[in-house]
Amino acid sequence: MTQRSENAPEAAVIAEAAEATEVVAAAVPGEAAAPDTFVDFRDAAFTYDGERFVFRDLNLTVPQGQFLCLLGGNGSGKSTLAKHINALLVPDEGAVEVFGCDTRDAESTYFIRSNAGLVFQNPDDQIVASLIENDVAFGPENLGVPNPELRERVTRALAEVGLQGFEKHETNALSGGQKQRVAIAGVLAMDPAILILDEATAMLDPRGRAGLLRVVRELHAAGMTVVMITHYMEEAAQAERVVVLDGGRVVLDGAPEDVLVRADELRALSLEVPFACRLSLALRAAGVPVAPCIADDDLKEELCALRSSR
Amino acid sequence: MAVGDRAIIGQYWPEDSLVHAMDPRAKFLLSLVLMAAVFCAATPVALAVAALFIVGFYGAARIPLLQAVGALGPLIILVLVTALLNVLFVQGGQVYFEWGIICISEKGIQSAVFIGCRLFLLLLGMSLLTLTTTTLDITAAFERLLAPTARLGVPAHELGMILGIALRFLPQFMTELGVIYRAQVSRGARFDANPFKGGMRMLTALMVPLFASAFRHAETLSAAMEARCYHGGDGRTRLDPLRLTWRDGAGTAAVLVMLATVIAANFIPV
Amino acid sequence: MRLAFEQVSYSYAGAASRKKKAGKKEKRQADWGNAPGEVWALRNVSLTVEPGEFLGVAGHTGSGKSTLIQHMNGLVHPTEGRVTADGADLVDKDVAVSVRQRVGLVFQYPENQLFANTVYDDVAYGPRNMKLPEDEVDRRVREALLLVGLDADEIGERSPFDLSGGQQRRVAFAGVLAMEPEVLVLDEPVAGLDPLSRADFLALIASFHASGMTVVMVSHSMEDLAALADRILVLSEGRVFALGTPAEVFADAAALKAVGLAAPAPQTFASALREAGFPLPRALYDEATLAADIAAALGCGDGAASAPDGGGGRG
Repeated sequence: MTQRSENAPEAAVIAEAAEATEVVAAAVPGEAAAPDTFVDFRDAAFTYDGERFVFRDLNLTVPQGQFLCLLGGNGSGKSTLAKHINALLVPDEGAVEVFGCDTRDAESTYFIRSNAGLVFQNPDDQIVASLIENDVAFGPENLGVPNPELRERVTRALAEVGLQGFEKHETNALSGGQKQRVAIAGVLAMDPAILILDEATAMLDPRGRAGLLRVVRELHAAGMTVVMITHYMEEAAQAERVVVLDGGRVVLDGAPEDVLVRADELRALSLEVPFACRLSLALRAAGVPVAPCIADDDLKEELCALRSSR
Repeated sequence: MAVGDRAIIGQYWPEDSLVHAMDPRAKFLLSLVLMAAVFCAATPVALAVAALFIVGFYGAARIPLLQAVGALGPLIILVLVTALLNVLFVQGGQVYFEWGIICISEKGIQSAVFIGCRLFLLLLGMSLLTLTTTTLDITAAFERLLAPTARLGVPAHELGMILGIALRFLPQFMTELGVIYRAQVSRGARFDANPFKGGMRMLTALMVPLFASAFRHAETLSAAMEARCYHGGDGRTRLDPLRLTWRDGAGTAAVLVMLATVIAANFIPV
Repeated sequence: MRLAFEQVSYSYAGAASRKKKAGKKEKRQADWGNAPGEVWALRNVSLTVEPGEFLGVAGHTGSGKSTLIQHMNGLVHPTEGRVTADGADLVDKDVAVSVRQRVGLVFQYPENQLFANTVYDDVAYGPRNMKLPEDEVDRRVREALLLVGLDADEIGERSPFDLSGGQQRRVAFAGVLAMEPEVLVLDEPVAGLDPLSRADFLALIASFHASGMTVVMVSHSMEDLAALADRILVLSEGRVFALGTPAEVFADAAALKAVGLAAPAPQTFASALREAGFPLPRALYDEATLAADIAAALGCGDGAASAPDGGGGRG
C-alpha cells in the first residue's frame, strides 16, 4: 500500500484545479477553520424544493486524517450531506468549505471533486465502462492526466483495493463487493484526500461488506480521510468518530464507544444498537455490574474479570 | 425461458487475439465493409465464400462460433421470421404445398434459405465487432471517426459517450429483464400461452419495470459521473490512445480480399 | 402443500449442446475464486419443505440459494433429480402453472417489478392472471393490501412509482399475497432497508407464518433466521451443508465460518464465554437467555429474571 500524502491535496492536473490550489493557499490563513480542517459546514442549509430543508444550521468539521462515520435514519440528510462534500450539491444558506475552498466557487469545483472522492450505494449505477481498467481510468481521464502516469494510477488504485492484475476483466461479471471495490479504485485513481462512502456497503452481502471495510481501513491507516455513511453498527464501531444526524441536525457526536452505547437515543432515531451494548444493558438489568461497551471482546474480558473476582 | 442467461450482443468477449488487438476505428470501418461484402453476395456460391471468410475471422478472433451464434439470441428469431415471410410471399417454380392462400414453392424456399443465410451472416459480422471490441473502444472509434464533424456542430464526444454507456448497460438490462420476466411468471403471467391475446399487458409488465430501472440507473449514474469530474470531452485524456498497427493493415487486406473474392464468386455459374 | 426436492442438481450449462459455452464461462470465472470445473449451481439437494414450517435458507453469494428457490415454483427445472409438490412433478408444465398459484415467490428488491398505473392494478395482476372473477379479485387486492398495512381506498389509485421505497416493497409483497399462496418464498426480503423498516417487515413475515402459511426465507442475517425459522438450510457451493433446527445448525460456529457464514452474535458470544469457562448449557441463545444465564453463572440477581431491555433489541 502506498503511503498517501500527509499534506493538503496536491495540485490536480487540469487548469481549473491549478488555479484552485492557489485559492487554498490564499484562503487558509485568513479563515476561521484550522489549516488541517478538510471539511467545514458552517450554518449550512439545503433544500431541494425551496420549502422543506434537508438540513439547516448544520455545523460539522472533519479534520484531516479522520475516519468519520455518519449515522442516521432515512431522511436524516446523510446522503445530501455527502454530496455537499463533493460539491455535487451546494448549500442554499451558510457555507461548505472543502480544503478551504467554498464549494459554491465554480473555479474550485473540479479541484474539490477530484480530491473528495464519492462512492455511491448501488455498484451498478457508478460503473461507466465494460472493462475494469477503463472504468478506473475514467476519473483521471476527465482530469486530463497524461498517459504514463494515467496507467500507473490505474495500476496503483487497483492494488490499493486488492484487485491487482484485474485490469482486463469485465465489470459486468463481478460480484457486488468487487464492483464496489472497482468503484473505490475509480475514485482513488483521482488521487483524492478524502474518501466519502455513501452507504457503499448497503447492497453487499456480509463477505462483500467485510472486504470493503478492510479496504477502507487500510486506506485510512495510510493517511486517507474517510467519511463513511452506513446503517451497520459493526462498521460504525470501527470509526474514530461517529456523528448521528436526525432531521438535518447533528444530535450525537463523539467516539464510537461513547455514542454507540446510548441505546435509548439510538433506538429513538430508529438506529440499531451494537450487540455488545444490547447484551451489556440486558446484563445490567439482570444485576450484572458491567459497563456498556461496543466491542464483544471488551465485554468478554469484563465478564471474565468479574467471574475470577468471585 | 432463461432470458439473460446467455451472452448477448454487445457483450465483450475477452480474449487475446489479432482481431481484439486491432484499432477499433479500423474494426469499425472494416465491419461496415464486411457487411457490404455480405450484401454483394448475390449467389449461393458467393454467400458460401463470404461465410467461409467470416468463419475464418472468428477463428482469428479465437471466439467459438457456437458461442457467437448463441450470443445472437433473440435476433435469430428475426432471421427465422424473415425467412418465413420469404417462404410465404415469394412464389415460383415447383409448388410443394398449397392450402388456402398459403403456398410453398421452390422459389420461396430458395429465397428463404438465401435471405435467411445472408441476414444471419450480417448479424454474425456485426457481432464480431462488439465481441472483440470493448464498449469504450467502440465509443472511442465512433467518437474519433466523427471528430471531423465536430466543427460542423455534431456533438461527437457526447454521442460516443451515450453509445458507450448504452452498450455498458445492455447486458445488465438483459439480466434485469430476465429477473422481471421470472417475477411476472411467478405471478401467473403466461408469456408462452397466447401471444396475441393480452399481448400488450404482458409487454407492459416487462417493459415498464425495465424503463423504470433505466431511469433510476440514469439518475445516479449521471451524479456518479459528475462526481468523478466528468465535464464533456474537453481536455480528456485516454488510457489507451488509439494507434494503427500492422494488424490493422493485415485486417484491412483480409477484408478487402473477402470483398473482392465475394464479388468475383458472383460470376461463378451455379 | 409439501414441496420435496429429490436429489436435485442444477447445472448452468444444462444440455450437452451448451457444454462449450460452459467451458468458457468456467474459464472466465475461475480467476474469481469459483472452483474450476464447477458449473453446478446445485448438487444432490434433497429436502422437504413441510406444510406450515418456517424454513430459513442461508449461504453466501453464489451458494445456490436463488437457484434453489426458483425450483420451488417451477421457474427452473432440475438438470438431474426432481422437485415435487404433493407428489406431482413440477417439470410438468400444467403442474408448474398450478403450483405457481400456490407458491408465492417474492424476488429480491421486488419493488423493481412494479409496472401498473395504479397500486390496485399492480396487486390485481396475479389474481387476474388466475382468471378470477372481478369481485374475487377486488376482495383479494383489498385483503392483501391490508395484510401489508396499506389501505386500498387510500392508496389504491396512486401510481406505485410515487410511493416511498418501503411502501413500494409492501405493494410488491401484496402483489404476491393476493394470489393467496400456501407457501411464501422470500429472497432476501429485507435487503437494502433501514433497521426500522427491516424490523417491520420481519414482523410482517412472522405474522404470515403465524397465520399458517409455509414460509421459506433466504437471508444473510443469521440473527433473523435464528429468531424466525423452525429449520435452517445452509447451502455451500450448491450442496446441503447443514439442515436442522437453529440450535443444531448454529451449534458449530467454526464449521459455519468455514463456509463464509457467522453464527448469530449471541451464539458466537456464548461459545466464546464457554471457552473461558462459563457454564452456559443452552444449545441456542438469544440476548435475553444469554444475559440471564450469564447472570446466573456469576451469581448476580436472580438469573432467571428476564431482561426487560435486551430481548427487544431485534424488534
